[in-house]
Amino acid sequence: MAAAAVAASLVACGSSPSAGTEPGTAGSEASGNSGNAGNGGTADTADNNYTSVVLGETGKDIKTKIKILTHRTDMVGDDYSGKSWKDYVAEFNKIYPEITVEFEAITDYAEDSLLRLQGGDWGDIMMIPAIDASELSNYFMPYGTVDQMKSAIRFATDKQYDGICYGVPSTGNAQGVLYNKAVFEKAGITTLPKTPEEFINDLTLIKEKTDAIPLYTNYAAGWTMGAWDAYIAGTATGDATYMNQKLAHTANPFADPGDGSHAYNVYKVLYDAVAKGLIEDDYSTTDWEGSKGMLNRGEIGTMVLGSWAYSQMQAAGDKPEDIGYMSFPITVNGKQYATAGPDYAFGINKDASDENRMASLLFVKWMTNESGYSYNEGGIPINAEDDKYPDLYAAFDGVEYVSDEPALAGEEDLKDTLNSDSELSINSGGDKKVQAIIEHASNGDMTFDQIMDSWNKAWTEAQELNGVDTDN
Amino acid sequence: MNKRKWKQAQVILTFLIIPVGLLILFTYYPFGKMVQFSFYNMKYIGPRKFVGFKNYIQIFKREDILRTLLLSLYYMAGAVIQVFLALYLATIFCFKVKAENFWKGFIFFPYLINGIAIGFIFKFFYTRGFVLDTVLQAIGFNPNDLPYWLKDQSINNWSLVYSSVWRYLGSTMVLFLGAMMSVDSTLYEAASIDGANKWQTFWHIILPSIKTIVTLNVILAITGSLSAFEPPFVITSGANGTGTFFVVMNDIAHTSQKVGLASAMAVFLLVIIFIAKFIQDAIFRFLFRNAGTDIDDREFKKQRKREEKARMQMHRGGR
Repeated sequence: MAAAAVAASLVACGSSPSAGTEPGTAGSEASGNSGNAGNGGTADTADNNYTSVVLGETGKDIKTKIKILTHRTDMVGDDYSGKSWKDYVAEFNKIYPEITVEFEAITDYAEDSLLRLQGGDWGDIMMIPAIDASELSNYFMPYGTVDQMKSAIRFATDKQYDGICYGVPSTGNAQGVLYNKAVFEKAGITTLPKTPEEFINDLTLIKEKTDAIPLYTNYAAGWTMGAWDAYIAGTATGDATYMNQKLAHTANPFADPGDGSHAYNVYKVLYDAVAKGLIEDDYSTTDWEGSKGMLNRGEIGTMVLGSWAYSQMQAAGDKPEDIGYMSFPITVNGKQYATAGPDYAFGINKDASDENRMASLLFVKWMTNESGYSYNEGGIPINAEDDKYPDLYAAFDGVEYVSDEPALAGEEDLKDTLNSDSELSINSGGDKKVQAIIEHASNGDMTFDQIMDSWNKAWTEAQELNGVDTDN
Repeated sequence: MNKRKWKQAQVILTFLIIPVGLLILFTYYPFGKMVQFSFYNMKYIGPRKFVGFKNYIQIFKREDILRTLLLSLYYMAGAVIQVFLALYLATIFCFKVKAENFWKGFIFFPYLINGIAIGFIFKFFYTRGFVLDTVLQAIGFNPNDLPYWLKDQSINNWSLVYSSVWRYLGSTMVLFLGAMMSVDSTLYEAASIDGANKWQTFWHIILPSIKTIVTLNVILAITGSLSAFEPPFVITSGANGTGTFFVVMNDIAHTSQKVGLASAMAVFLLVIIFIAKFIQDAIFRFLFRNAGTDIDDREFKKQRKREEKARMQMHRGGR
């Protein structure tokens, strides 16, 4: 990953001049062709960016066909329980009847979309796959500057490079804790926990008063353990710059800050739960697929996973209404935060014809602004003025969403380098270290402070190796 | 003449070029690259820095890496059991057995299943209250006394070793069986006419004839146990003290992206396998130095001496 970033920065050196001129080029091209569009200027993408187009007014007379490459294979079929792509297009066509929208869904999207992107023949809109930020301008049309976009959408910095935004997220996810409402009720828990202590107390109540497993770790699946890393930044610090900017420069980031926040207290929840026997009997043989139904049936009290898992848990049994979602039980200076992040973002093919680019822009704006897609899919709204959160976030009242800022210029690969050298791999597949917390807590061969000390040591050594300045 | 030789060479070359080319392209060239990588501090992409033997030194400095080699001892113990059991079963099949082909297939079958699938089978097999526990309960064990097969660090490696023995027993047995089949059957007949019991037939006829296959199986078992990967990777994902050398290497290479260190580990493992092979060679040369001759086993020595004496006397008498 880090290496990719390095390579990217090398590439960037070569391509940044062209990236800078890209919007201009697009503009001159567009104005040259504007005659073809029939109505002067409507297809001029240089004048019309995401913020300036007005749905229902701009490009009313565009008649074209656009193709979208998507990861949502389930939404292509008619048997999709929610609102399918077809339904969305039908609504879109009420405003723009002359724009035909086609979908192509790919099963192994993360891999295949990269190949399609290189191939070039992928259509007009795609969910931007994992490519380096510096490469964005080589493939995608700019939506506008990040400053402009920030006023219009959430997560505007997600697909940005040099202050230009190339992707609009389709929806957003937040990091919290899944729980079973019926189990909580049975255990007599009336208010959701806000601190690690309250959470452990509630887990103890569940153990005493119900038959449910208070906290299901999903230890064996591995990646479900690495998921704990997602809570140490915004959620545990309230600081949007922590994950990608501050962590690399923090001396001993796993030390106890003494105020019940930060990484120390996130992982301590896990250690304490294990040490107090509040998890499944045999963690070494947990079953991820089976755990979904168990949560649904009320055999599990809580699971620590991102909001993307919510709909899967609901679909796994007969009691979708029992599934609840709450913020991670940690409080920073009396306030709760939740890390929120964007899902796949829509990118528009910069090489498509002017008409198609305009039609695509209209469709993306409609999808993210008016379609209700985010709400229907249980996500955080993308439209910055839209505060209509799905029921899933009902328990997030008063919780502030924090979305991680990108790394500072010149330090894009610093965190990845430290991750590699320390072998902690924070938020990038470091499942083993979190699994080790459970093992040590269960076997009692290492105290929690000893584990955190060893992580601090590894992190410090990596910092010294790379000559990183720390904050003390 | 010269022309003919040239033509011969041409034919040989054209036939060789594809297999050798493939071998070089897919085995020796990547191997050479890996050896080269082991001297660098590098990730998959990005700048590389030559660090000499630093990666190798690190292997010896890191307790967590060296400790994984000890796990190989579990698998080696399993391998020994596997070879002996396979030899035993193959020998039984050499004599008359009812429904022979059914039992052969029965034992060989696990080898046909994909290793990943086996991993999943055993994951459920060992899950608390699932297959193994239910069976043990049915035959009278108290479920509360049963250990946690994968959670308890004192036995979870044995659990994994068992799955590996279960899988490879059949293939080892079939290798033995094939070698035993090729032994001239008149030898067995002659032995039975001479009044040899089954043990004697095995020791004096079968074992010497399949010496090379025994050696081969032991080499396969030892290298296999040094590079054990699938059982811990699939069943426990190398967590909970079951991370073998390969699993840790995989982690270092892919999660931590320390390609140089991982390459050095691979080279280090190769050296260990070479050493193990030489030691094993020496031991076998020692063990088999007398196999097939008359004087090899103390238990039979005296008896045989008596027989010999008697025979000699007979010979003399005969003259």
